[in-house]
Amino acid sequence: MRYYKFNVRDGYYIGETRQFSIYEKGMIRRDEPLERLQIIPKINDKNHFNFQYGPATGGLIESLDFKIITNGEAIKGIVVNPYVKSRTMRCLNKTIDECLLLVERINGYHSASHSIAFLSAVEDALNIDIAEGTYYGRIVILELERIRSHLLVLKRMCEPAGFGVPMYQLSYINEIITRIISDISGHRYFYSTNKLNRVDVDFGLLSSYIQTLIKIKREFENIFNGLLESKIFINRLQGNGLIRDDPLIGPAARAAGFRRDARSNISILPYKELNFEPIIFNEGDSFGRFYIRGLEISQSFDLCINALERAEQSEYNYSNNFSGEGAARLESPSGDLFYYVNIDNGLIKDIQMSSPSYLNLKSFIKSAINTIFTDFHFNFESFGIWVSEVGVEFI
Amino acid sequence: MSNQWFIKGVKKGILTEGFPQSPPEKPPLRPSLLNGSSNFKCPVGALDENKWNPEKCIFCDKCSMEMHFTGDQKLFKINRKMNAFKRSLYIYIIDSGTCGACNAELFNIFSPQYDANRYGIFLTNTPRSADVLVLMGVETEGMKSVLEETYESMPEPKCVVKMGTCAISGAGIGSKISSLEPDALIYGCPPSPYTILEALIELKGDKP
Repeated sequence: MRYYKFNVRDGYYIGETRQFSIYEKGMIRRDEPLERLQIIPKINDKNHFNFQYGPATGGLIESLDFKIITNGEAIKGIVVNPYVKSRTMRCLNKTIDECLLLVERINGYHSASHSIAFLSAVEDALNIDIAEGTYYGRIVILELERIRSHLLVLKRMCEPAGFGVPMYQLSYINEIITRIISDISGHRYFYSTNKLNRVDVDFGLLSSYIQTLIKIKREFENIFNGLLESKIFINRLQGNGLIRDDPLIGPAARAAGFRRDARSNISILPYKELNFEPIIFNEGDSFGRFYIRGLEISQSFDLCINALERAEQSEYNYSNNFSGEGAARLESPSGDLFYYVNIDNGLIKDIQMSSPSYLNLKSFIKSAINTIFTDFHFNFESFGIWVSEVGVEFI
Repeated sequence: MSNQWFIKGVKKGILTEGFPQSPPEKPPLRPSLLNGSSNFKCPVGALDENKWNPEKCIFCDKCSMEMHFTGDQKLFKINRKMNAFKRSLYIYIIDSGTCGACNAELFNIFSPQYDANRYGIFLTNTPRSADVLVLMGVETEGMKSVLEETYESMPEPKCVVKMGTCAISGAGIGSKISSLEPDALIYGCPPSPYTILEALIELKGDKP
């Protein structure tokens, strides 16, 4: 394993797989089961009651089961069951290609992140050097995915504020990005785009879209600046869901002042060659997370255009009968995403994944205590949580 | 300040496209109708005796050497038209076990490019005021009872739509949703907004 070491607790905490606790540079075997996602207040007040929210509700994109302990307005405790829609992926004893079809469907909205993290772990096990054009191609599609994902989060944050115009304008831009993705890869969510040492994308066609990308970047910045000038909107976010301590990863960590970004602290993709520097802010509230995502959208447009110059399709050749163990981590739009694989004679013997949404859910619960009900959706959406990637079991 | 957004909105003009009266402006290649025949061993069994089965297809591109994606977005089947909903159709969504892509595509039909509201199609936050239950994702233990209780609490007349390969056939990930008989099937992994919009318009017995 080139990027990870067993029994090393080095760097910040990334998350949990089925058997391991993951850190920035190492992984440690965990014997205890995962702790429950809950904060129960130490109060015995008859004025408090349980409010059931979900699992099926129009307010959330996915099914998620909340039991909120409240006195009517303030949230005093939360119990979350993110496993209500847990899926089982039959990956063991499957080939890399068969497994890839399932991995890219763990989180459809972050499909490129999942497939590239998985493939990077496989390539680590295979111990092969990846073509430079593939590295840059992967950066291009990861940044397009980040733009779209952040746009969705900002759009979802406009909705509870009743800001219909910016919400629909962000939806419009989001759909343009999705159509560009569809044009260059054949699929709106990058399914079947990533392969070992190859990115099946028409980079020439994407080059013809550069002026469109520059135009929509400008269009986005106009909407974003308009939202920043709106006191009514900003007041709903400032001080809401404040969290400054662990466990924090991804945009939530960067909003709270932590320099945590797998793009700058791990070498599986050459972000350093593109002079990438993470954007850091010093407000750990919903506004901070909103602000960081807005700035990162503009940054991702630039990274995508710069990486495109060096991106190209490479040859797709590898032996089917290899064995090895590999691990890799990358920065998905919601934070650090980690994969571990053990391959025997070309078949998957073990696969484990640590998703950013698990830690983000944990942070969300912590941040929601003592907020009020009307703050709930702003705070929840600001973390960019995808339930689909939390409760996946590999068999 | 509220005027500012109103003016910004008006300045943009009408962004909604002509679909479905006119052809889709940017149809995706995958998913779309497949042409041809092949004895390729499909990973999810969507090629039975050389014949393509859209219910099982995850549009993974593995058979593209012999099969051809046409770009045609008519990837749905209406079992029962619901003329009672000609004027308006209120949708309640149940995510039984999705990857999130179906959810996102269903929300996308309300983006300015598609604007499903102009056809009287709306989302509702309660099954009590829903006309159609849209089911997405594979069947999961945790959502089984939620799904049945939701259907029971919907007023008559009501209908069920299964959307996406996971809900229709399991997509090689799990089991299909077996508890409710669908009035319409929308194929795709995930179905595109073009397909979803046209299917819902046809389900409600409306003319595009």
